[in-house]
Amino acid sequence: MLKIIIPTIMLIPLTWMSKPNMIWINTTTYGLLISLISLFYLNQPNDNTLNSSLMFFSDSLSAPLLALTTWLLPLMLMASQHHLSKEPLTRKKLYISMLILLQLFLIMTFTASELIFFYILFEATLIPTLIIITRWGNQTERLNAGLYFLFYTLMGSLPLLVALLYIHNFMGSLNFLMIQYWIQPLPNSWSNIFLWLACMMAFMVKMPLYGLHLWLPKAHVEAPIAGSMVLAAVLLKLGGYGMMRITTLLNPLTNFMAYPFMMLSLWGMIMTSSICLRQTDLKSLIAYSSVSHMALVIVAVLIQTPCSYMGATALMIAHGLTSSMLFCLANSNYERIHSRTMILARGLQTLLPLMAAWWLLASLTNLALPPTINLIGELFVVMSSFSWSNITIILMGINITITALYSLYMLITTQRGKYSHHIKNIKPSFTRENALMTLHLLPLLLLSLNPKIILGPIY
Amino acid sequence: MKPPILIIIMATIMTGTMIVMLSSHWLLIWIGFEMNMLAIIPILMKKYNPRAMEASTKYFLTQATASMLLMMGVTINLLYSGQWVISKISNPIASIMMTTALTMKLGLSPFHFWVPEVTQGITLMSGMILLTWQKIAPMSILYQISPSINTNLLMLMALTSVLVGGWGGLNQTQLRKIMAYSSIAHMGWMAAIITYNPTMMVLNLTLYILMTLSTFMLFMLNSSTTTLSLSHMWNKFPLITSMILILMLSLGGLPPLSGFIPKWMIIQELTKNNMIIIPTLMAITALLNLYFYLRLTYSTALTMFPSTNNMKMKWQFEYTKKATLLPPLIITSTMLL
Repeated sequence: MLKIIIPTIMLIPLTWMSKPNMIWINTTTYGLLISLISLFYLNQPNDNTLNSSLMFFSDSLSAPLLALTTWLLPLMLMASQHHLSKEPLTRKKLYISMLILLQLFLIMTFTASELIFFYILFEATLIPTLIIITRWGNQTERLNAGLYFLFYTLMGSLPLLVALLYIHNFMGSLNFLMIQYWIQPLPNSWSNIFLWLACMMAFMVKMPLYGLHLWLPKAHVEAPIAGSMVLAAVLLKLGGYGMMRITTLLNPLTNFMAYPFMMLSLWGMIMTSSICLRQTDLKSLIAYSSVSHMALVIVAVLIQTPCSYMGATALMIAHGLTSSMLFCLANSNYERIHSRTMILARGLQTLLPLMAAWWLLASLTNLALPPTINLIGELFVVMSSFSWSNITIILMGINITITALYSLYMLITTQRGKYSHHIKNIKPSFTRENALMTLHLLPLLLLSLNPKIILGPIY
Repeated sequence: MKPPILIIIMATIMTGTMIVMLSSHWLLIWIGFEMNMLAIIPILMKKYNPRAMEASTKYFLTQATASMLLMMGVTINLLYSGQWVISKISNPIASIMMTTALTMKLGLSPFHFWVPEVTQGITLMSGMILLTWQKIAPMSILYQISPSINTNLLMLMALTSVLVGGWGGLNQTQLRKIMAYSSIAHMGWMAAIITYNPTMMVLNLTLYILMTLSTFMLFMLNSSTTTLSLSHMWNKFPLITSMILILMLSLGGLPPLSGFIPKWMIIQELTKNNMIIIPTLMAITALLNLYFYLRLTYSTALTMFPSTNNMKMKWQFEYTKKATLLPPLIITSTMLL
């Protein structure tokens, strides 16, 4: 694992010592090279995990997420070039260093083998994200957004620390590879119920669960583009990944403890999708759609069947790429008209036809069109929740419909129709932006040819 | 004040604490405390104004009362055990009196009322000495009598200190008062595990002293005592604003900075002893602390406060204040994890 970690650490001296006109080129190129290394980990030979050291390991669950994280760094750097072009050099380098630091913590989080190490890095990812949101966001609401983000996540995760230390005392070690062989069923008692809650609430807040999702629209909307990308694509998946790891310790309490969260997720899916239909703010729409997709992942993880785990993993990767791409598209709008309101920039298809193609593909993947991996994920989740309880199919069906509705609403409002008067003199699409969209879309479409690498450890 | 006098007074302060730490006879410990207190009064009064006089008087009154309570505890212990040597204290009344006295010296709740007011009335340098050096002596005595301290009393004091430290600092803009409430909260964390694992208390004390020294030095570099004057720092020393950001996050106990180490270790020791609710409560209340540290960083590092054009004149001048040992201090207070 050091083959990825040390190069990522060395990206920081690279940014500080490059010539001023080469910082973007250098970091993007070497970031892409690092992501190529992480692709090697996708080759998981058998049911076992690839253990590279005492502290780091990667299995079929963490390898796709690792590849997603390392793939996203060059994309974030490419996306941030425009809005940072007017800043002084030191601030540009600081921003890039924050992104690289965040990347480093994320890589270590996904490959951590001990649960307390995972916890420390899980919390550590908050600091660079907070700095990126509050320092480089664009509106005054970003201060409030940073506060909500930090405190919601910390309130959830401090009980997790206590719970992990308790489990450490109880079991002797928290090394994930060993725990899987020592698990005993957890007896049903009040204190074990609180243990379950303490373990899961951190990840529920991170996902986010419907009732605790207030931080997400604020944080996504106020963050600069790289912040939004990394938040939507990877940080939310930290919650899903953590839940999948820690539910192995918590059987059989999950059978009945999961009910309230299942209710919240199922209802919340529909609620947040419906809110999307009435949004005027483009980034807010994409943020709420993230909540809706993640609610599906929560449902899948709480059901705990092999099919649902496959669906959850596939959905996490698919949603990461799709959501990040949608944020990039929204940002390309924002950079031209400096407003996030959707109706201010209508009819873009006549002015920027290639960008309209990317909008179309992004919206289609968002609404889970076959044969993309979004569909595979959603289908597996719907199938497994139907087998868990027949009634959920109604809610799932309504959700899929409303998802299609708002995705098409977003597409039609921004692309079709007569253009608004004042956007006639926007700049045409940059090659950088087209490259960004292609790099998002290519993995998404190619994975639909071979989805088994993202289907997780159960496949 | 004149250098020879300053040297003598500083030497007395240090000697006082050293005597407290190194002696095994209770009378000498009391003498050490008194030496320390009397010698620090002129340091607190460095700036001769009524506010400093009030602060010094309050400090003197509380510390003298605490010393007398300590002496009473020592006498009761002498009565029941017949010896002056510091060791396990068999009589519970003596133990409670000594604990109360020492927590009064430290500024733990419910005896915390003097800390913000005294810290506010004195200069930043005196405040630094007050909040760091002065904690060493009472803590060393608590360490030595830790087997016989009544756990319930100390845990109650610790819990209320963390709560008071969190909520009290919320409405403050004066930096010295913020640091005073931070001191109360950190003392609470330290008091919580003295009876379970005193070594963790030493760890927490060391890291707390490192972080507080760094913070005060950064404030002194700018001679700023209010949030407003700190917020103009982006004009003069932009590098120091990032230092303040990291230092405040470390004080708040965020991983992976070194302020997280004591919190993690303390929660681990407490859960090993089957106390689950108390560390959870303390950890969540520490978030209140984090809130007002974060507010400081918001106005300093993460936004650019409006400033007049005159302030930009200062860019021409390089700063000449001596910041002794500042880089190593900052690094140890943030990177130790």
